[in-house]
Amino acid sequence: MNWTAILLTLKLAALTAVILLVVGMPIAYWLTYSRRRWKFLAESVVALPLVLPPTVLGFYVLVAIGPKSPIGHWYEAIVGHPLVFTFEGLLLASVLYSLPFAVQPFTAAFGAVDPKLIEASWTLGVSKLATFFRVTIPLSLAGVVTGVVLSFAHTMGEFGVVLMVGGNIEGVTRTVSIDIYDEVQALNYAAAGQTALFLLVVSFLILSVVYALNRNLWAVWPMK
Amino acid sequence: MADEVTAEFEKTYGGRASIHAALHLPVGRSHVLVLFGASGAGKTTILRCLAGLERPTRGRIAFAGETWFDAEAGVQTPPQARAVGYLFQDYALFPHLTVAGNIAYALQDADRGEREARVRELFRLLRLEGLEDRRPDQLSGGQQQRVALARVLARRPRLLLLDEPLSALDAPTREQVRGELRGLLRGQRVPTVCVTHDWVEALALADEVAVLGGGRVLQVGSPDEVFSRPADAEVAAIVGVETVVPGRVVERKDDLAALDVGKARLWAVEPSGRGENFYLCIRAEDVTLEIGAPPGSSARNHLAGKVMEVRPAGPVSRVAVDCGFSLTALVTRQAARDLTLKPGTPVTATVKASAVHLVPR
Repeated sequence: MNWTAILLTLKLAALTAVILLVVGMPIAYWLTYSRRRWKFLAESVVALPLVLPPTVLGFYVLVAIGPKSPIGHWYEAIVGHPLVFTFEGLLLASVLYSLPFAVQPFTAAFGAVDPKLIEASWTLGVSKLATFFRVTIPLSLAGVVTGVVLSFAHTMGEFGVVLMVGGNIEGVTRTVSIDIYDEVQALNYAAAGQTALFLLVVSFLILSVVYALNRNLWAVWPMK
Repeated sequence: MADEVTAEFEKTYGGRASIHAALHLPVGRSHVLVLFGASGAGKTTILRCLAGLERPTRGRIAFAGETWFDAEAGVQTPPQARAVGYLFQDYALFPHLTVAGNIAYALQDADRGEREARVRELFRLLRLEGLEDRRPDQLSGGQQQRVALARVLARRPRLLLLDEPLSALDAPTREQVRGELRGLLRGQRVPTVCVTHDWVEALALADEVAVLGGGRVLQVGSPDEVFSRPADAEVAAIVGVETVVPGRVVERKDDLAALDVGKARLWAVEPSGRGENFYLCIRAEDVTLEIGAPPGSSARNHLAGKVMEVRPAGPVSRVAVDCGFSLTALVTRQAARDLTLKPGTPVTATVKASAVHLVPR
């Protein structure tokens, strides 16, 4: 098994999940409570990665972060090296690619919190932000955990986007799925099989945790 | 004007129904204003506008000179800054917090000692000792109601808003909690607006009643005034009980109590509440009329009186009788003709003791 690829993939998936936790919450909050008429457009944009071929998404990210684009140019001016074909570039693509896997469970969970509890908190003098942390999040914990875990699992298995944006650099952008592809191309079926089995087992375990959590959060959460 | 809550506003929904509120109540002392009306009359919307949870379309809300809402100036004070206590109909207790956590919720910014002292005080006031570590779903309806009240009182609100405070309780609990709630509200030096569609609740809690119908305030007055002398037929139909008079218990015997009402004496089924002062509530259909003087003056609840007014209302007539107090009876048109009822006719009104409903006041 290619442990370099596995560790790199775990690092990418973990960072993606953490970033989506931070970025996805405000997006989900807005999608839950906004009454704007064009909200459906924002919902469609968030859901796009679900239906778009990863190569299409990867293509646009590649163009967007290339040295000739404003983003790529600006990044290179500040950091000193280009964004494309780096781990950071791959991370950005992964965040976009897994966005719906975090935002949709968050939105569903926030929407299930009784609005009266939130209003009760406001009338008790607690600010909107503090109410979010003291009422909304504790009551949608299962959905928040689901979103984080799903975006982690989804990033673990991404292929097309990595191929387009990351290239195939050992230790930098060669993830597990790319490694399996390489091994098969080189006819190393045994090595490919080992890594594939590893990915299968890890994905199954993660999904088991998600479904167990959603059945009864308090059965696994250490809270009296 | 400075020591008043003034609310004069209008809320429209997409150009269809609109709700007009025109309410005043004094600040800094116990005064319970009951908003009374059928469901859908806009009572809860008025409370939500007062709390800042909804924004009226037009008008003004001010609390002792402090502007909470002004449509023209574009002012809308957020609920956090109004320092009101809002008791939700189903209490809206936080399910993830314990009883103590719910009550201390609003006291996050207070220092630890102060917070604990206040929580202990509220546990004592609302008799919640021993329930500190329970979760809301482990409480009875009455306990949940007391926890919600304690949570609302914790940060010493300047105005209390109660949305159908007793409707989520079963009947026996409701009767008990009603008395407790009245005592509690009298003890807090805070004006209260309480919404209800239950006239017993309105009579028991109110210092003042505002009747709502068709989206506007139809009549404001003391409870017996509003219930006994509705301003018009619309108010009469909403309040649904025609005779409400204050009375005093003068004698208790077997399961009955005798009350002096004006110059008359009425027997009623022994009330569950203690105390001497009650409202006697009598529905017009429970009063029967006969021509002439009572058969024996000692007979219970036979009241000699004179017809004051006969008002036809569809197939029936409402007859107002002066029998030491004003009593309204409902008779069929046919009976009104047979009895030749007209102002001045001497009649005997009869009411069963079980038809006299007593509400403590």
